[in-house]
Amino acid sequence: MTVLTGLRVLVVEDEPVVAMYLEDILDELGCITIGPANRLSEGLALAEGPLDAAILDINLAGERSNAIAELLRARGVPFAFASGYGNAPEGFGAPMIEKPYRTADIGRALNTLLGE
Amino acid sequence: MTEQEAGHAPLPVGEDEFRLIADSAPVAVWVTRLDRQRSFVNRAYVEFFGGSYEDALTFDWRAIIHPDDIARLLQASVDGEASLKTFSLEGRFRRADGAWRWLQSTSQPRWNAAGEHIGFIGVAHDVTEAKEAELALREREAQLSAFISQTTAGFAQVDLDGTFTLVNDRFCEIAGWSREQLLRRTMQSITHPDDLGRNVPMFERAVREGVPYTHEKRYIREDGGIVWVNNSVAVIRRPEGKPFGVLAVTLDVTQRRESENALRRSEESLRLATESAGMASWELDLETMEGKWSANRFDLLGLVRRDDLRGTVEDWLDRIVVEDREMAREAAYRCFEQGEPYTIEYRIRRADTGEERALQSHGSRIDYDDGRPSRFVGVSFDITERQRAEEELRDSEARFRTIFEQANDYLITLTLDQRIASVNPAVVSALGYTEAEVLGRPVSDFMDPDQFAISLGALQQKLIRGGSTRLTIKVRAKDRRELVWEINSRLTTDAEGNPTGIHAIARDMTEAKRAETHLRLLIDELNHRVKNTLAIVQGIAQQSLKGDRDAATSRRAFEGRLAALSEAHNLLTREHWGLVSMTQIISDAVRPHGGSARFTLDGPDLVIMPKTAISLALAIHELATNAVKHGALSEPQGKVTIRWARMRGEGAPRLSLVWEESGGPAVQPPERRGFGTRMIERGLAAELAGSVTIDFRPQGVVCTVDAPLPEGAE
Repeated sequence: MTVLTGLRVLVVEDEPVVAMYLEDILDELGCITIGPANRLSEGLALAEGPLDAAILDINLAGERSNAIAELLRARGVPFAFASGYGNAPEGFGAPMIEKPYRTADIGRALNTLLGE
Repeated sequence: MTEQEAGHAPLPVGEDEFRLIADSAPVAVWVTRLDRQRSFVNRAYVEFFGGSYEDALTFDWRAIIHPDDIARLLQASVDGEASLKTFSLEGRFRRADGAWRWLQSTSQPRWNAAGEHIGFIGVAHDVTEAKEAELALREREAQLSAFISQTTAGFAQVDLDGTFTLVNDRFCEIAGWSREQLLRRTMQSITHPDDLGRNVPMFERAVREGVPYTHEKRYIREDGGIVWVNNSVAVIRRPEGKPFGVLAVTLDVTQRRESENALRRSEESLRLATESAGMASWELDLETMEGKWSANRFDLLGLVRRDDLRGTVEDWLDRIVVEDREMAREAAYRCFEQGEPYTIEYRIRRADTGEERALQSHGSRIDYDDGRPSRFVGVSFDITERQRAEEELRDSEARFRTIFEQANDYLITLTLDQRIASVNPAVVSALGYTEAEVLGRPVSDFMDPDQFAISLGALQQKLIRGGSTRLTIKVRAKDRRELVWEINSRLTTDAEGNPTGIHAIARDMTEAKRAETHLRLLIDELNHRVKNTLAIVQGIAQQSLKGDRDAATSRRAFEGRLAALSEAHNLLTREHWGLVSMTQIISDAVRPHGGSARFTLDGPDLVIMPKTAISLALAIHELATNAVKHGALSEPQGKVTIRWARMRGEGAPRLSLVWEESGGPAVQPPERRGFGTRMIERGLAAELAGSVTIDFRPQGVVCTVDAPLPEGAE
């Protein structure tokens, strides 16, 4: 188990309650939440900053978060998708965290992303 | 008439005696002297001349000679006298009554005892009747000769033994022998042996009893060939009545016989062929109106076969049902009388079983070129089964036609090269073409290439493995709309099982596919929402249950939030997750906390997105809970006013919402900000993409929202 303490994790999630919950989970894991961003534009802006990992909700109030994923991939920042339903967008090779999620799901996903 | 001087000539008898004899003779007699003077004429002479005896002795005999004969007679007379021998003359002389009579005279010289020529004695008799008979005969002979030498008929005369005695050229030509050969042969020797048996008795009877006859027989020609002749035979008799020969007038009828034979042969073979094909035949002699039936014609009508196999038109008509009888009679008689062939279908009632059967008959008249009475031939056969089958086929065709025309499904037949052979109206109306635009076109015209490839693959499969295929294919309507058809198809085959075409039934699945896709989307969406909602519930639970609060408080908080979430969902469900009324979502959210008794709502009825509505409902719930617990609503007189308005500035329209508490206890800012505050300040702000501030004023909490007007809120 990698130590996740101090990791800067971008959260892109349009549902406030869910975003807060994820924020709490990351807090519990010792990570620093960047965001949460609930719109594509906001997510894109935050993705430019210093990051260690990201968790992207696929559907952002009707927009898809692919653009953020592409930016992160270009920057080499590992990320996972999160969604209530469906498959991760193809071509990114990113893992998928299915809602509703538990603390352990997030921890495992982050460990995977950081290539323990 | 030569004349001699009487007295110079010695008479064989005494003069008186001579005169007596001469006068009684039926012929004219005269005696001349050397000076050519007549010294004696008899009574007959005088009577012919018509004058007196004296005039008869002296008149010029040349004056009564016929002008056509005078030159010839005078020359012959001079020559005859000069010859001093007996000579004869023949010519026409005018009698006393004016009639021209043929006289034949003979004159002979007279000599005296000394042997001196003393004159002539002549005798003339009237030969007019004989002469005329001879001329008439000569004329008849000329006619007969012309008759005999004509080229149509042959003439042959044979004696009583049959030996040819006279033949004309035409007979030689017909019989195929030269005249010289024939005159050495008998008619029996050139007659075909098979015909002699009939010929000889007739010949003998003719000779014996004089009965003429006409018959047809064959001659064998010199080259071995056969010729058919029609001989009309009569006996020739001598004047006294005794037969001396037989004359035959001969016509060549080979061609007619051959065509008759050919006809007979072809009739025979036709009869055999038709009978073996189940056809009954009948012939009718149109002179006697009676004829021969084939045996199976009796069977066909259910009649007992007659020994002579003969039947009449009426026998046949009697079997025909009354309704059809006149029609059949008319057709038959029109054929008999006008030669118009017929083909009729009619019903009969069998004589034996009474069963009704359907027959078809063909009849035609045979007319001979030579005008002999014509004959009628006809064939009949039973078409009951065929008619029944046809009827069934017609019914079945009609049934299928109805199905074809009225089916909602698409019925299509194709040729093996994938061209459209037929379509029902449903196809035409679905595709938007006319039937004419569709027929004969390749199916590839009605689908994209990838779809046609699928169709071809199915055809290959059917050709290899048989059976039917079921596939879903997109076809193109005339207006390029894409239609989804589910097509069941199979090969049609001939009696040997060879494929002849394709029969397809298709059903439009476009709507079904659309509905299926829609349903799939709905399920996906529902799943998504459920998962999202569960995530929200999880978040609420996590927020409600964490920290150091007691379990009962935590549970109440959780229950309250869950209720607010549920209430918001109710509204969303009512509105089918479409836009919802802001007034409605706020009033629903405050109802559990006192409703209109404690809350004053003031704002236009804007509409907001469902997701925004949930956040708003949860935020209002948090504010209200807090107000009930710590704020204005913890006191009976405390009130909350919620005002919102659409603000129009220089940019896009904005939403302004203010929550203001009043009449409650003095407010203490909280020591720590819990879920509620976070939910409002961050969650709602994020949701609205605006700013939300909570101001813990001593006289009451004020929450201010400033956000761009949410999409759809116009």
